[in-house]
Amino acid sequence: MLRHTLIFLEYELRNSLRNPAWALFGILQPLTYLLLFAPLVANTTAGGGMADTLLAFTPGIMVMIALFGSLLVGFTMIAEMRDGYLERLAVSPARRPAIVLGRTLRDVLVLVVQALLVAAMAVVLGMRPSLPGLAVMLLLMAATGLLASGLSYGMALALRDEASMSAITQFFALPLILLTGIMLPISLAPDWMRAVATVNPLYHSVEAGRALFAGDFGAPAIPVAFAFTLILGLLTLAWSVSSIRKTAF
Amino acid sequence: MIIEAHGLRKTFTARRGGEPIEAVKGVDLRVAAGQIFAVLGPNGAGKTTTIRMLATLVPPTEGVAKVAGHDVARDPARVRENIGYVGQGGGVDENAPARAGLVLAARLGGMSRRHARIRAEELIAAFDLADFADRPVRTLSGGQKRRVALAVGLVNRPPLFFLDEPTTGLDPQNRAHLWDEVRSLRARGTTILLTTHYLEEADALCDRLVIIDHGRVVAEGSPAELKKEVAGDVVTLRLAGAAEPARALLSGLPYVREVRTEGETLRAYLGGERDLPHLLRALEAGGLAIDAISLDRATLDDVFLRHTGRSLRDAG
Ligand SMILES: Nc1ncnc2c1ncn2[C@@H]1O[C@H](COP(=O)(O)OP(=O)(O)OP(=O)(O)O)[C@@H](O)[C@H]1O
Ligand SMILES: [Mg+2]
Repeated sequence: MLRHTLIFLEYELRNSLRNPAWALFGILQPLTYLLLFAPLVANTTAGGGMADTLLAFTPGIMVMIALFGSLLVGFTMIAEMRDGYLERLAVSPARRPAIVLGRTLRDVLVLVVQALLVAAMAVVLGMRPSLPGLAVMLLLMAATGLLASGLSYGMALALRDEASMSAITQFFALPLILLTGIMLPISLAPDWMRAVATVNPLYHSVEAGRALFAGDFGAPAIPVAFAFTLILGLLTLAWSVSSIRKTAF
Repeated sequence: MIIEAHGLRKTFTARRGGEPIEAVKGVDLRVAAGQIFAVLGPNGAGKTTTIRMLATLVPPTEGVAKVAGHDVARDPARVRENIGYVGQGGGVDENAPARAGLVLAARLGGMSRRHARIRAEELIAAFDLADFADRPVRTLSGGQKRRVALAVGLVNRPPLFFLDEPTTGLDPQNRAHLWDEVRSLRARGTTILLTTHYLEEADALCDRLVIIDHGRVVAEGSPAELKKEVAGDVVTLRLAGAAEPARALLSGLPYVREVRTEGETLRAYLGGERDLPHLLRALEAGGLAIDAISLDRATLDDVFLRHTGRSLRDAG
């Protein structure tokens, strides 16, 4: 199983390197946000300079790449299902969990690299994060990637068609983003909205990221975010693995 | 017997109401190891569904099947260890080049990196893929894709292969290549179950076949046996006058097994060609003038016609 997972990981990484276009597009949007929003936010928040704004804003951008990138990986899988590719793999000597695990690992690696690129960009713009904080944040991004691609593959295998998949992801994307407090601080929200935000794992990831970048390792948001994303990530991974097992009986 | 299936049935139930579709309505199959076994039938006959049940891709609604000694429903994982499967739709990663897909399949089959590369080269040579082995599969032509799919399917060497319409979309030269490949698999002791709707292919390639129509097996045997059952030879006639009097006359002859009218032409099934002179004399005695005549060996189409009342050439 481990061997097959690594074989798939290598194969998928090579695939990604062969057409890096989609990975670039996935990161273009967050980078644009970083360039457009950060100066805006910097001007509206009193007292904070660009560096402080970036410190608060960059973790949100990282979480956004997970949403706009990793959450969409399932679309490729739907195409693979239609081409009969998954079906052939399912009756080949391939261990079926490895089919999903290899892809998920690839997605996690891609997400971490993208997050690093975003961080580099922010540093160029003037952000000075705590380096150990940044390292831990990358770990948290890995867990978030697990959650997002597990969810995406699970949905792809359950829905099996692009139209319903895109309807559902579109439906959830905006509320999820708003409820992280990336665009607008959640402290401006009414009580009920803040209550809802606390069950949004992405909200905790963003909060944890802010604390980490600021070097505040004692913040309770950090363990909460790790626990939340890891547990949900493992659950969605288990879901997608059990779904791929059903490709053949 | 490497495949033993009894009373296989598959009924697809539509999601929202709708009539359930009985794709396979009770198929029995016995395939001996080391054979090339063909499943012949028109579109929608249930060939793919039958293969998919045997390859553990869809569970049978009813019936039992043992493949390579393991029960398909109870022990699908064991079955999968013993089979190779190339589906009708191809089933290769469209975004990767053929070479990567071949290496992947070989690595998953347990080969080392080095062996996998060697095996990939062998198949690239065998299926003549060198010109396009490094382009993404999505940029290939239909027949090229088909060859890639077959090559990927044959990377590993399980004792049993399922090939669903392996030659559809191949040009005559590549079809001949594939036939050679299938025969050399048999020479190594591999069993091949393939589906086709080409009569010539089933005739030339397989040791035994079943003909299925509307989800049922209508005939089974070796091509020679099946054809002999219908007739030794077939006389095709076109007459100067109306066909009906000739049909009546021929049907009455003791050595004519069966007569069929197809528009203006008549097909008379004889025990053998030695009956031809008698037939000609009988026609002459009946005062019937012949416009055109030909004598042919019976084909699998005649077998199909006999068992279903339709010609596969029309049905296909
Ligand atoms: N998943 C499915 N759901 C509903 N009906 C199906 C499904 N798969 C096949 N069928 C129906 O079952 C019947 C048999 O289909 P099958 O694919 O087995 O035919 P086939 O003999 O392989 O035909 P072809 O020569 O066209 O490949 C057809 O009427 C088809 O429409
Ligand atoms: Mg078919």
